[in-house]
Amino acid sequence: MVNNIIEIKNLTKKFGNFTAVDNIKLSIREGEIFGFLGPNGAGKTTTISMLTTLIKPTSGTATIANHDLSEESVDIRSIIGVVPQSFSLFSELTAQENLTYIGRLYNMDAKEIKSRSEYLLKQMALFEHKERISGVFSGGMKQRLSLAASLMSNPKILFMDEPTTGLDPQSRIAIRELTEQLNKQGMTIIYTTHDMEEAEKICDRIVIMDKGRIIADGTAEELKHKIMSGHMIEVKLESEPKELSSELKKLPFVTAVEHSGQLINITVKRKEGVFFALSEFFLKKGIQVEEIKYREPSLEEVFVTLTKKDLRD
Amino acid sequence: MPKTDNKKKNIKEKVVDLKKVSAIIQKNFIVMTRDRIRLLPLLLFPIFMILVLGFTTGNSPKHIPAAIVSFDNSAMAENIQQQIYDSQTFSVRYRVSTEDEAKRLLDSGKISVIIEIPPNLGEDIDNNIPAQIIIIVDESDSSISATSNQALGAIINNAATSITIQKLEGYQQSVSAAASALGNFAGNQQNQYGIIAQETSDAGSYLDSAQSFNKQYSNELTLSLPSSSPILIAANSTNNYDTYNNNLTNVSSPNIIYSESPVATQIKGQIAITQKFGASIAVANGKVHAAQVIATQANKNQQVLQQNYDSQVRKPLITIQTFTESSAQNIVRPLSVEDKAAYGSSGLRAIDFLIPSLIAMTIFQGAVMGMGRAVAGEKRDGSLTRVFLTPTSNTTIISGTLLFYVLFELLRASFLIIFSVIVFNIKIQGSLFLIALILILYITISTTIGMIISSVVKTEQQFQAIAMLISLPTMFLSGVFFPLQAMPKIMQSIANFLPITYAANALRGVMVKALPLQMISYPLIILLIFLVICITCVVTVFKRDIE
Repeated sequence: MVNNIIEIKNLTKKFGNFTAVDNIKLSIREGEIFGFLGPNGAGKTTTISMLTTLIKPTSGTATIANHDLSEESVDIRSIIGVVPQSFSLFSELTAQENLTYIGRLYNMDAKEIKSRSEYLLKQMALFEHKERISGVFSGGMKQRLSLAASLMSNPKILFMDEPTTGLDPQSRIAIRELTEQLNKQGMTIIYTTHDMEEAEKICDRIVIMDKGRIIADGTAEELKHKIMSGHMIEVKLESEPKELSSELKKLPFVTAVEHSGQLINITVKRKEGVFFALSEFFLKKGIQVEEIKYREPSLEEVFVTLTKKDLRD
Repeated sequence: MPKTDNKKKNIKEKVVDLKKVSAIIQKNFIVMTRDRIRLLPLLLFPIFMILVLGFTTGNSPKHIPAAIVSFDNSAMAENIQQQIYDSQTFSVRYRVSTEDEAKRLLDSGKISVIIEIPPNLGEDIDNNIPAQIIIIVDESDSSISATSNQALGAIINNAATSITIQKLEGYQQSVSAAASALGNFAGNQQNQYGIIAQETSDAGSYLDSAQSFNKQYSNELTLSLPSSSPILIAANSTNNYDTYNNNLTNVSSPNIIYSESPVATQIKGQIAITQKFGASIAVANGKVHAAQVIATQANKNQQVLQQNYDSQVRKPLITIQTFTESSAQNIVRPLSVEDKAAYGSSGLRAIDFLIPSLIAMTIFQGAVMGMGRAVAGEKRDGSLTRVFLTPTSNTTIISGTLLFYVLFELLRASFLIIFSVIVFNIKIQGSLFLIALILILYITISTTIGMIISSVVKTEQQFQAIAMLISLPTMFLSGVFFPLQAMPKIMQSIANFLPITYAANALRGVMVKALPLQMISYPLIILLIFLVICITCVVTVFKRDIE
């Protein structure tokens, strides 16, 4: 049985009349990478800010490693690390000075600070830049330094708030790999993103938030199945066909048909015998099929289906 | 998780961790030294101010071109004109006879001031009629206007004073004469009383001798009578006239026995003489008695007069004498303005008084603006958030940040004081320890105010706006640019709510007047109250809530 390291109980945050986080309940297990997904303004960052003691909940509470959120905020801060959305280090200080300062704020002694920062700077490939003013670093370097700063105290739980936003693919991959590596060492990671692919790749479990509420909760697989009533088959034709939808719909196992160019997406009730039946259908019509395959829905489809909108403020 | 009461919870958020405070101070120091562009105006701005003010204050315009229009030839008018000529402020270029002529000169820009002496000035003053000297100033230059008015005011004031002194001296002489006349009169009165008393006393003794003569005569008369004479019996029986007279009446009864005898006739004659003589003795006795009463009363009166003379004549006389002896000038001007230095003998200048205000003003600006960067700026770039994410209490963050800026502003203030000492030869009269004490108090208040503002605002722009709202009144009510006394009452009462008013007062007191601690305790106490309020406020409003 795995312990729940974070227990969120009826957490609510209101800004005036606006409810940013609306009575959420959630448990996060020790050692997992937990993804917070949701469109902009869904309440992800507000939730993270409450869990990291930056803002006080309007009502409800949470425990983090058995520390109460509102009563033991200092204890909580000493066991968590946070990689904020933006850089948020002292751009006038060098990489080394930033880490030293953060280390001192954790009451680490000089020796500890030296060894820990050296280890982290090497791990983040910043060791040769440690005497440079961090303000002139590239986005990727800044984010790696930010990660290093968050890891100075060797936290049990690491909160990462959209850590890869605005980074180039190389940096993104590097951050993702580091995250997985840290997780393997036993660190619980709470990962906020709106990159579905990324979430799907690294998160053990995911919640999708919208308008301050949790609207879905589970593994990526579970979430996908939540929205799918059947299976999806993608048929690629050699040429653009005439209107086929109505005829396809007459087939007993077909529930929906979507048609765009050479591609036809067909939703079916069952998998058995469907490939054969469809091949036969197109053969009869004299239409050349280039490819026919099952297709899993992307997390993005799940996301859009659940949150119903594409554009957010 | 059980609910605990609100008071007890989260005590760790209130504990100040000194190690972390020193980490924050060191961090801020590095940040400050890296940001040289920001450091530059912090030092250059006050230096610029000191230079500008140091070289301009105390240099009021001199030798203002002036014209005199005089309608009076009295000695008084001449005297005033001479003083205007002698003044450093005015340079009299023209003496004209009409106002129009003078105004043409003013319009042409050849002169800036017209001074007009009215007709009959001397005569009016002699007759105690108030007289006025008119000044017409080219208002386009306010400094000329102010200086001319001031300088002429001083001249007129001087003249008015000497006129008053002259008149007063006249009064003094009359009073003095009256006093001596009164003294003489009183002296004479006293002498008169003495003479009366003496004469009365003489009268008494004269009458005494008359009485004894009478008695002696009476004795002789008695001896000349036969011893059996009833007259003698009667005379011996008493010295009292009344009894004597009665006995004598009894003696007359033998009248019947010796009637018509020659002896009887002789006795009768003797009796009649003696009776007359007795009557004259009685009258003399009565007069002596009356004379003695009068003499006693005269003595008493003289004693009372002697006592009253001291209180009623001598003391008022001394008062009058003291008045006439003291200088009329001291009576007319019990208070006077001296051009000489009031404090110390070093000859203090306006700049000496200005520097404390100037330092107080620049410190406030620097401290408040510094806090804008320290809190509002770090809020904006997220670095404060990063500090909030570490197990560091609010009070530690507040202490560390405040302490650094207090140290920094203290350094800056010292630098400015040293600069003023070198460039303007400012002399620090009072205790350096007290100066440091005032500065530390005031700087802490200023930085705390900056921190309060930056805690309640959401952006650096808002910070700038609110900081301006507080630092502008501080700047203009600091007395650096305009004297506070010259401002409307409402402005002066606003100044009462600004810490700079008290800090500048205390600083000036110590730096310029070398006042000891107890003399500046009032401003220091007010500053302490400010400090307590500010610290309470900052601990309340400085929140982690990043909203």
